[in-house]
Amino acid sequence: MSPPMDSVPLGQMNDADLMLRVRGHDDEAAFALLVARHQKILLNFFARSGVQYDSEDLVQQTFLRLYRYRQRYVATAKFTTFLFLLARQVWIDELRRRQRRERLAESLAAEPHEEFAAPADPSAGAQGDLDLARALAALPEGLRQVVELAVYQDLPYAEVAGILGIPVGTVKSRMFNALAKLRALLEPEATAAAPHQGPAKGDRP
Amino acid sequence: MNLNAHLSELPAAEAAAFRTLVARLQAAPQREPSPQLASRILAAVASERTRNPKPETRNPKPETRNPKPGTRNPPPWQWAAALAAALLAAVTLFNRPAVPLPAAPLPADPAADPAAWLAACQEADGAWQPARHGGDPAYRPALTALAALALARDPADRFREGVRRATDALVALQTADGAFGGEGRVRAYNQAIAAYALATLAPHGPATAAALERAVAFSRAGQSAEGGWDYEAGSEGNTAVTAWQVRALAAAAERGVGQANIPLRKGLRWLRGAARSEGGVAYHRGSAGRSESLSALAAYTLMTSGRSFEGLPALGRNLTAALSAADGAADCYRDYAKVMAFESAGDTARAEAVRTGMRHRRQAGAQDPWEPIGGTLYTCAFTALAARQ
Repeated sequence: MSPPMDSVPLGQMNDADLMLRVRGHDDEAAFALLVARHQKILLNFFARSGVQYDSEDLVQQTFLRLYRYRQRYVATAKFTTFLFLLARQVWIDELRRRQRRERLAESLAAEPHEEFAAPADPSAGAQGDLDLARALAALPEGLRQVVELAVYQDLPYAEVAGILGIPVGTVKSRMFNALAKLRALLEPEATAAAPHQGPAKGDRP
Repeated sequence: MNLNAHLSELPAAEAAAFRTLVARLQAAPQREPSPQLASRILAAVASERTRNPKPETRNPKPETRNPKPGTRNPPPWQWAAALAAALLAAVTLFNRPAVPLPAAPLPADPAADPAAWLAACQEADGAWQPARHGGDPAYRPALTALAALALARDPADRFREGVRRATDALVALQTADGAFGGEGRVRAYNQAIAAYALATLAPHGPATAAALERAVAFSRAGQSAEGGWDYEAGSEGNTAVTAWQVRALAAAAERGVGQANIPLRKGLRWLRGAARSEGGVAYHRGSAGRSESLSALAAYTLMTSGRSFEGLPALGRNLTAALSAADGAADCYRDYAKVMAFESAGDTARAEAVRTGMRHRRQAGAQDPWEPIGGTLYTCAFTALAARQ
């Protein structure tokens, strides 16, 4: 049995209890703790989506939505599931904004991979990180989000399915395809030699 | 099921390869939030709490499709918002973005009192939302800055509180590096205009003063060796961005921001070098042709931001003398620059002639060339900035 919530110091409360305090009492300190705990996770969520300069703006928008929608939070849902649901909606709005911008002003259009034009760090490690970022950015959005939630956030497939609004089976197939594509991008030699592609048309048996 | 269980179902060799890949992904370094991020978020939430204490009770439903504009099925509450937005668009605007936004209360005629219209459009967080008014949301910082400058210029000082809130909003929009959001060209545009607004609107606290220092540091870092600024890296500069940056640095220097002095001198030197003997300025120093808008903007900048430097105000007056007071097509940016140049040169008659032309074109319903990007916020802000004091 857990102790009554009010007798537990805020810093020791789990995310769900903090969120319930935000929902029930508009508790600023509880909200500040949630921000402190999750701002980095969200920042990297957006950064891995290919956003370089606006990531912190998107984190702010996500927390604003969290505050606006606080009455909809129910303790049966894991807090991070709720948070990533909101973050994903912020990201979808951002994608729409970019698409509109490209339509509206071609001369001012954003270059989605502009950040990769910057000179790379000559060290091998930095180049490796750059390759990873490139490979992730090259994934179709549906696959990349599955990787984000299941690999980086370590969420169970059922939660990933809930956030993305797709069946668990689709999460599995997307994850497999995402990993296969990433491997092909990052390790082309290994995948070129892989036998699973089968014989080409016209090859002898 | 989780990722580990999933991989266990695969053939051993494939699972091992994927596990190595997953470990590599998870080991990649992560970005650290800027020290100001948490306080920015909490300030934005505090503002939301003050302005809109009633929480949203609608359900943030998960998206079930890939994001394709105009192809999703919004939940019922969004249909209501879309209907409201569509009705508003039918009355006032075309080119409204696909995402519906709740309609904001607006005065009937933005042309009658553009500053009052802007004040009525200010959002709860102190910024302006271009998407509500036919503009591109990427330019929210710059349009917020322009609207705030327009409110601050009101002769009756009706919008002091709105200016203060807008300044706070600009501080909240600023990123750790001193920019104000956006990427590439959008970022350069937002930063130059927002920095000018921050420097011009009186810093009313340590947070605003610190934001101004960061903005100036960003400007310094982006200045070319020749002293100019441009949207593109590697360019020596273009007149438009350089003029706004010089104005920002001059205003910051007047507020005691010491690091603004050296880039200000270099920027003014660049602008002086852009002026041609025949009395015009082009977009780039080396390009052919002459821009009436940029000649006016450069003239105004030299007369005001360069007023402490020998020869620059006289150069600005010479450039102003070559400007025309009569123009055919609508262009609020050009008209604003001309009004400011003529007023700075003491030529109130020609300043008034430009204002008259603006008014006639507006009454005739002429479309401003920048409206598809800046929307009504942009045209109203420049109209208010060009209004008689």
